[in-house]
Amino acid sequence: MSLAVLYAATFGAYVWHFSSQKALAGRIATGLLLVSVLVHTFVLGMYTMDLGVPPMAGRTGAVSTFVWMLAIAYLSVELSTDERGIGIFVTPLLVALQGLVAHGAMPTDVPEYFRAPFVAVHVGALLFAYASFALACVIGITYVLLFRELKRRTPGVFFQRLPSLQVLDRMNMRAVGIGWLLLTIGLVGGAVWLRDVSIHMADDPRLPHMTITDPKILMAVITWVVYGILLGTRRWAGLTPRRAAWLSALGFAIVLLNFLPVAYFFARSHNFA
Amino acid sequence: MHLVLVGLSHHTAPLEVRERIGISRSMVPAALDRLATDGCDDAVLLSTCNRTEVYAVAADPALMGERIIGCLADYRGVSREDIDAALYVRTDADAARHLFRVSAGLDSLVVGEPEILGQVKDAYKVASESRGTGSVINRLFHGAFAIGKRVRTDTGLAEGAVSLSYAAVTLARKIFGDLARRKVVVFGAGEMARLSALHFHQHVAGTTVATRRQDRGEVLAAEIHGQVAPWDARFDALVDADILVSATGSPELVLTDTDMRRVLAARRGRPMFVVDLAVPRDVAPEIGALEEVFLYNIDDLRGIVQENLARRQDAVSKAERLVNDEVSAWYAWLRSRAAIPTVVALRTRFERVRQAELDRLAPRLAALGPEARDRVDEITRLMVEKLLLTPTEQLKAIDDHDTMDACSAALRRLFALDEDAAAAEADRADAARRGTRR
Repeated sequence: MSLAVLYAATFGAYVWHFSSQKALAGRIATGLLLVSVLVHTFVLGMYTMDLGVPPMAGRTGAVSTFVWMLAIAYLSVELSTDERGIGIFVTPLLVALQGLVAHGAMPTDVPEYFRAPFVAVHVGALLFAYASFALACVIGITYVLLFRELKRRTPGVFFQRLPSLQVLDRMNMRAVGIGWLLLTIGLVGGAVWLRDVSIHMADDPRLPHMTITDPKILMAVITWVVYGILLGTRRWAGLTPRRAAWLSALGFAIVLLNFLPVAYFFARSHNFA
Repeated sequence: MHLVLVGLSHHTAPLEVRERIGISRSMVPAALDRLATDGCDDAVLLSTCNRTEVYAVAADPALMGERIIGCLADYRGVSREDIDAALYVRTDADAARHLFRVSAGLDSLVVGEPEILGQVKDAYKVASESRGTGSVINRLFHGAFAIGKRVRTDTGLAEGAVSLSYAAVTLARKIFGDLARRKVVVFGAGEMARLSALHFHQHVAGTTVATRRQDRGEVLAAEIHGQVAPWDARFDALVDADILVSATGSPELVLTDTDMRRVLAARRGRPMFVVDLAVPRDVAPEIGALEEVFLYNIDDLRGIVQENLARRQDAVSKAERLVNDEVSAWYAWLRSRAAIPTVVALRTRFERVRQAELDRLAPRLAALGPEARDRVDEITRLMVEKLLLTPTEQLKAIDDHDTMDACSAALRRLFALDEDAAAAEADRADAARRGTRR
């Protein structure tokens, strides 16, 4: 709960900065985000020490780790570009997701096969990939908002407060590129892990479903294809930055679909909580 | 001491008068020397294309104002009659308010323009380096720098472009970010095209001029260290460019929708910023619907400029409040300085009395130990401090010169401070004579 409150305070500071444009407000916002990330790191670190593996199994652990990774991804972008204009769009996501699992229970124990090294690679890489795609989605939306103002020749709030289209496009493509690379690593890591544990899990009812036909795995592969097309067409087929921004938002919609309804209602292979 | 301002600006003087009285930066030290020979040795001379102003410290502000006017007129070789009507003379808080408004950009031709603060800083630097400046001027100008910065950061007075060329550059920056690697193509070589080319040229990697009249294009290209493209090859120049500024006098379109589509096909989706400053328009308006093109015509840019100017006007009242606060603080400090001679004399008088009493009681205090004697010294000193604290504060807080003079005179008479000062002066003279004999 305290983490959600910390992220909410950070969001408040970003709202203050967005409306006042004061340098002090910006510094306070960044400082609060940094404090939130450090506290979150400490909390996850404590659970990791307790469990022996990162607490990524189960809904609460996975979502909280996702929030932590998204906060780190955004913080690194902000610190490397010194642009705080999109903080107001990213932090509500942190508040909402952390608030969603604020009363949930973190995992207290994990199955033995979860301790295999490739699980950390598989789950960690996928969560970080999804965090990158979330960031790309937010950046893509801000790109479209600024693009509209510029096309309509009515420079307004976003014109005053957001970085240039070029910077937003570069941020978007970097986030998508990193996310796609991690998604690839995560999928390959999952396949390797499956090969390694199939002997120990021979009697596990989930094992027969761990194929491409499982909705969760299928959606992950579709996500990989969509972002792959985005990167490929942008690089080689002259996809415009605006379409790339839309596509990164669409890609994240698929991620959300996979992360929430598909994982809960349809997937038969990834129920570890 | 008083602060005196003598000057003229774009509000009071036409360009011809400002040109005649204006003093270039290299001539400012000599002008300050000239002012010093006329008795004005603590001054700052601020001379820009829009104003020439002298800020000086003097005991008699009216006399000093006259001297400065005479000196300026002589130095620039103009008659008093030519400039009298344009000149303004202000003193103390009014003079400080004027400088603070100037450095905040409130007195500028374009309200909130940023250059003036740098020019005020430069004027102060030249004065302090060439002849040195006193505490009144130092405090005044540091206050001006602080208020100039504060107004710009706290009120948004300097935000937004307020000229067509600057608005175009700002828009280009919002699309492309850093313009250092961007290329500009300018259609036309008339005055509007020239001004835009000059403005963009400072920020971009290269500029190409395409015009029907090759000779005029070459003149403009030479001025901006750019290139010239033949008019018929203007679309080829667009393939590598990121920004197009079109300002020809052509009665027909010089860039149609079909032309632009052909150019875009070769650009592989790279965005392009098109500024059409011509009337009638040079660029087909349908081009604005193409995804990769950001098209702005002269009315769009004018709209942005007017919106920014209106926004700046909204910030003016807030900026004026900040200026007034700074003026009050500075003027309170200046007033408190007028009390300093009386306060110093009063403290000296009390200290002499204390020392005299301690000396008189020295034989009786001799029986005490060193620690007890130190304690007596400390207690008497603290008593004097406490007795003088309230009158000192009251005196410094007096806000008009007449009351200040009356109170100072009363204190001097009641405590015989002038006799005390005369005695101290006589003591110093005796000591000096004794030193000379030895």
